[in-house]
Formats: sequence, C-alpha cells, structure tokens
Amino acid sequence: MTELLTLENTAIVLDSTCDPADGWLDQPGLYMVPLKVHFGDQMFRDGIDMTYKEFFAKLEQSEILPTTSQPTAGEFVATYEEARKHYEHVFSLHLSGEMSGTVRAAEQAAEQFDNVYVYDMRTVTTALSLCAERLRARLAQGCTLEEARAYVEYFRDNSNLLVHAATLEYLRRGGRIGRAASLVGGVFDIKPLIMAEDGTLTGYAKVRGLKKAMAAIQRFVEERSEPDDQLYFCLIDAVNDEEPPLIREMIERIRPNAHYTFQGHVAAVVGTHIGPGTAAFAMIVE
Amino acid sequence: MIVRTAAVGVIQSALNAVEAERQFINDLNVYPVPDGDTGTNMALTVRAVVEELEQSEVTDIPSVAAAVTKGSLMGARGNSGVILSQIVRGICDVWGQANSLDTAVFKQAVLEGQQAAYRAVKTPVEGTMLTVIREMATAAQAVPDGFGLEHLLAAVEEAGRIAVDNTTAQLPALQKAGVVDAGGYGLLVLFRGLSDGIEDLMRGGKLVAGARLAARAAAHATVGAVGGRRSEAKRAVTVEEPSELSEYRYCTSFLISGDAIDREALEAFLLPIGDSALVVGDERTVKVHVHVNDPGVVLTEALKHGAIGDIEINDMHAQTRERDERLASAPEVGEGGTVVVAVVAGAGNQQLFRDLGCHAIVDGGQSMNPSAAQLLNAVQELGVEEVVILPNNGNVILTAEQAAGMSSLHIAVVPSSSIPGGLAAMVAFDPDEDAVGNARLMQDAIVDVRYAEVTHAVRDSELDGLEVKQGQAMAIVDGRLVAVSDDIESAFGGVLEEFARGGAEYVTVLTALNGWGTTREQLEELAARVAPDAEVSFHEGGQPLYPILASAE
Repeated sequence: MTELLTLENTAIVLDSTCDPADGWLDQPGLYMVPLKVHFGDQMFRDGIDMTYKEFFAKLEQSEILPTTSQPTAGEFVATYEEARKHYEHVFSLHLSGEMSGTVRAAEQAAEQFDNVYVYDMRTVTTALSLCAERLRARLAQGCTLEEARAYVEYFRDNSNLLVHAATLEYLRRGGRIGRAASLVGGVFDIKPLIMAEDGTLTGYAKVRGLKKAMAAIQRFVEERSEPDDQLYFCLIDAVNDEEPPLIREMIERIRPNAHYTFQGHVAAVVGTHIGPGTAAFAMIVE
Repeated sequence: MIVRTAAVGVIQSALNAVEAERQFINDLNVYPVPDGDTGTNMALTVRAVVEELEQSEVTDIPSVAAAVTKGSLMGARGNSGVILSQIVRGICDVWGQANSLDTAVFKQAVLEGQQAAYRAVKTPVEGTMLTVIREMATAAQAVPDGFGLEHLLAAVEEAGRIAVDNTTAQLPALQKAGVVDAGGYGLLVLFRGLSDGIEDLMRGGKLVAGARLAARAAAHATVGAVGGRRSEAKRAVTVEEPSELSEYRYCTSFLISGDAIDREALEAFLLPIGDSALVVGDERTVKVHVHVNDPGVVLTEALKHGAIGDIEINDMHAQTRERDERLASAPEVGEGGTVVVAVVAGAGNQQLFRDLGCHAIVDGGQSMNPSAAQLLNAVQELGVEEVVILPNNGNVILTAEQAAGMSSLHIAVVPSSSIPGGLAAMVAFDPDEDAVGNARLMQDAIVDVRYAEVTHAVRDSELDGLEVKQGQAMAIVDGRLVAVSDDIESAFGGVLEEFARGGAEYVTVLTALNGWGTTREQLEELAARVAPDAEVSFHEGGQPLYPILASAE
C-alpha cells in the first residue's frame, strides 16, 4: 500500500511573501523563511521583526525608500533541516521566480535533501498561503504524494490573483511590474487592477472610483469561474479596511458555492513594492 | 481680393505652421538660454501681426506693409521674436516701396530682411536664425529675376533647410544638446507656412491656409524625406542632466513711445549690464529686449526716453527648470506604438492628458479651433504610425477627421466632444494596442459619459424654456440648459442634481475658478450635500471661459 501524506508527516515551507492571516502560521507543520527589508542601514526580517502595521507606519515616515533582499540558500538549508527532523516530506512553496530569486535559493538548498519539493508558484502574497491551506485540507484527509504534487501544480497553473493598487508608484520604483509598466496609476484618481499572469504582474483594468473597481473585480471573477463552481478564495489587504469586505460580499453573492478562507495582511516585502492602501484577493476553482 | 485680406491669409498660414510646431520649437530651445520659449515667442510675434492687420482698415500695399511692420514690432517677444520683427521690417520696407510683389522684389526684400536683422544684433553669432536668414537671402540672389516666384520660394526654403541642419555643428551649445537651433528652425517653419500661403494665393486666388502644409506633412511622413529627418530630430530632444542656468536671470522686454528716442544711447547703457540686447524701431517707437539681473534699472533708464508699455519680464532660471522637467516627463511610446494627440485648452487639463499618457497636445478648443494642418503637424512630429486623435470639442471633430483623411498614417479619431469626455477616453488608452483597437476601447469608455459645463450668459435669451439674463450663470448638461442662477455655485448645484437624477457614480470636475467668486472648497461641500451617493473628484483645469467643466459616469 502506498504511503499517505498527512499533516503529521508533511510540512509546508513558505517564504514571508505569503503574507499570512494573523496567527495562521502558528499551526504545526508550517515554516516561514523571511525575506529582508532594509531602511538604509537598518535591516528587518519580514514578518518577524515588525508587524505589518508597524511597517506601513515606518514606510510613511521614512524619507528613504526601503529595499528588499531574498533569503540565502543557507537559511533555507537550516529551515529544511529543522522541518525534516520532524516531518518526512516538505513542500516548499514560493513567490514567482520572475519577481524574486527566493525560489532559486530554495532549489539550491533542496538539492541537499530528500523529499523536499520546491515550487515556483508563479504568483505572490496570500495566494501562497491559500495554496498551503488547500494542500493542508488534502493532508488532513490523507493523500498520495502524486495527488499532493498534482494539486500544487494545479494551483500554480489555475489560481488567480487580482490586486487593486492604490498607486503604481511603488511597483514602478521597484521594477517589479512587467507589462503593467505602461499602465497609468495614481494620476487622475486612477487605481489600476493588476493580476498575476505568467509569473509577473500585468494590467487588468484601469478604473476610477470604488464602484467601477467593484464592477471590474466582479467581471474578473465571472470570466474565471462558473456560477456553480466550488471556489476557494482569500482576501488580502495592505492597510485597507474598506474593500476586502465588499469583495467578499460580492464573491459570495455571485458564487453561492464560494468558500472564504482567511484574510492575509501584506507585510514588509510585498508592502515595499505594492504600497499602502491596496486590496486584493486570490482564488482557485476546485 | 483686397491686399489686406490676402496678407492676413498668407500670414495666418505662417502662423498655423509655427503654432503646429510651437512645442517642438520650445523643446529645441537651448541657446542662448535653455528657457524653452522660442516657439511661443515666435508664434506670439506672428499672431500680433495678424491681429494688427485684422483691426486695421488699410487696403494698399504700402499701408499693409507698414501695418505688418508695426504689428511685428509691437508684438515682438523674446530674442527670436525681436530679431524676427527686424527681418519682417526689412522685407516690408522693400515690399511697401515697390508696391508690388514679384521675384525681383522678393529677392531684394529677403536681402533687406537679412541686413535689418544683422543691424539689430551687436555681436552676431553663427549657428542661429541670423545664419539661416543669411543663407536664405544668399540663395535668393542666385535665382534669375525672370524665374517664377514659386522657384524662388523653393530655392529659399531649400537653402533654409540646409542652413538649419548645419546649425548643430556651428554652435557648441547645440552640439552638446544634439539639436538644431530653435530660432533658425522656427524661421524655416514660418517661411514654409508663408510660401504655402503665397502659392495657394497664386494658384487660384483662393486661399486654403495651411492645406498644402498639411498635404506636405503627410507626404513627408510617407516618403521620409525632410519630414523624416525632422522626426528624428524630434525624438532627440531629451535632457540627460540639468541644463546650465544663464548668467543673467531675467529676460526683459518692453516698448518705449517717445518723440526722439536715442536708440544708440539706450543700447550703450544695456551692453555692460546684460546680454542678448536688442533695441529696435524708430525714434517714436522702440522695442527693447535684454537679459539682465536687475530689470528695474533697465526700466528706470528707459523712462528717460519716453513712456514704457507692454512690459514683460520672465525668470529664465525657472523657465529652464520647467523645460528640463517637461522633457524629462514625456511619456514613452508603448509596444503597440500608438500615440495620442489631443486638442486641449487649459494648463491643468493639458497636464492631466500628459499624465494619462497623451504624447502631444494641440492648444485649442471652444474659442480657438486648431486647423487640420496643426493636427497633422503634431501627428507627424511624433514620427509614429499609429495615432489616435482626441478632438475634445464638437467643432474640432470634423477637422480631426479631415486631418486623418489627408494622411497615410493609421489615424483613428475618437469623437470626444468635451475635455472631460476626452479624459474618460484617455483612462481607457492602452499604449500596447494599435490605433484601431484603442479607438474602440476609448469610444466604449465615453459612450455613457454625461457632460456638463457652467458659464456666464453673454446676452439675454431664452433657451430650453428658461429665461437667461446677460451675466447669469448657466448650467448646461448634455447640451441642454438645466439651470440658471446669479452665481456659478448654484448653477453647479443644478448640474449635480441633474447628474444625481441620472444615477451618476463618478463625477469629475475640472475647475478654473479664478475670478468667478467661488472656491473649490465651497463646491466640494456642495457636491457632498447634493450628490452624496457619487464619488466626486476635483481637478484644476485652467480652461478659458468655463469656470466648471464636469462629467458623470
């Protein structure tokens, strides 16, 4: 009989761009390797040394724009060692290799281990947590390695992330914007909707005003799912209390079989590139 | 056709040509001071001539020539404008005395124009508009008197083009910036417009100001001859590092009227305290232009010679920085290679269009409709195949379509009939799409946009069942008068009520409230009260005539 993967024998390693919901990472079997954010000479480990609220407060006051850096392969080695002490299998899920070298450091580290499976998830932020959460649902019931791997690949190829950015200024400054570079944001009250596509961020729509934004977000969901679909989604915010509840209400209204998982908060590294005032959501049809 | 009407037509053709390239000429301007205003100065100088002629009633050649001279002198602005006024004066002196115009007269006229210009400048510098007029005059002398005027015009234009191209190598400042001389190029553009006007006149007495210019612009774009070269030059105008600031800060110009003005004494006074000094005119009217650090001293001295007027003082350091900023912030062309040319009035509105990725703005709108030639020139200057034109005014849509028809480029006209409508279209602009794709996106974006304007009634009347008294504020929504009141705030309230009735979700307000007795804060408060369900966003538009333009989506 094939060995079943369970929550007891399988760990999940994420990086700090998984922008988790409060307390979610405290569960057993979840590990997080931090990226770093630098304000001049000051270095902070993302998601560890300061809360997302502290980060945005500091960003607002700071005259210098922070920079970010990826974890080293050594840091991944240490995490995998720790995880493998307690777990047989390790799924290591990371932000798109187009956005950061993090996943390459992870792959390098994984070469020294058996049963560590590294994935470039082609997306970013709480979408990574959503994938981990859905994988955990399968582990909770027990699944084969092939099933688990197939699910992660399915999520990588089929999940959607839509970000309603308050401005493109941060993305542009960080150069993390791909084709969306030609989008105008911030001027004339335009708040662009940008989506993850081909591992990078691409413009979806340019909208002015919350009502138009909500209409465009609804269209995005309608284009990517059927009314009866089992749809799992998470909300994401970077100091934005207003929009996430509206997005949740809309999705649950038009997709009665939608399942809300949690709301992640954009931490320092993603926050550096996306700026405050942003709202987003990620979804996967299963 | 009376002489004055013909002259107005010909000079209007020249003005159209300069207006169409005004911004480009401004951008070229690095010498003597990179203050980026050569195009504007030349256009204003020529415009003054047109205005002078339009309000005068003279009919014979000598009087018309005198009026042209007077207009250019009175309206001369900046270094280039004052030198231009002297070229004009030389030409008109000969033309007026000859009382006719043929090849022999024109040759003599251009020569006198050149000499007058050189006389005005104490220390002529090569690689400027002086060089260009000299080369043009020299080429003219080589054309036999028996040849037709059109041959002469063509020879002069060709000589001018070569002279302009050579300016880059003649002046270190131009070489460093990689541009041709702004004044010299402006003079060439003006001459092209002028000779087009003259040829139109000769061809049938019927004057189609600028039509040939437009046709030629299109031809150049296809053939890539002279026009192609210019497009190359256009893209070269960029600022890598901050321009150096001039030694003298203030560009000062004014008129002196007196009985016996001693020009030489005034010039001698100016030379040690500044540079670019020009003192031109006669003993009764003198135009003074100089770059100095203390304009006050100059004005005080001028008062000894007569009454002063039309004083204009520009801070060239500020202008230099503005030029640097403008050139640094020009949007890039996207993958689809599509650019937008928009007709927009008001500095704030123009900036909004630029921020949204519009590549070229043609100044104009309700009170001043641009010509098809101006639009085509703006298009051609960009050197790009895929173009969307936003006319932003009902009266300009046809002109834009005409311009598109004259060109072999892919020009799509999105029939935006208002500035707020044009902005809504700009929001949908996708630089990675081609012109046709963009036209569809942008048209979709403006279909449901409602448009309103608030302005003052210029006369008593009755409209849409409402009685309007002169001076009252009118609120017009989608072309229909919806409210009349004594102040624009209440009229704006009428607009908001009408919008709210239509279920407006997003209202854009473009203001130009200076002198209209209300403030943006008051209007914002009103909007929150009258249209609480709508998101209302205010922007300083700066458009003429209308304190408020608005749209609802």
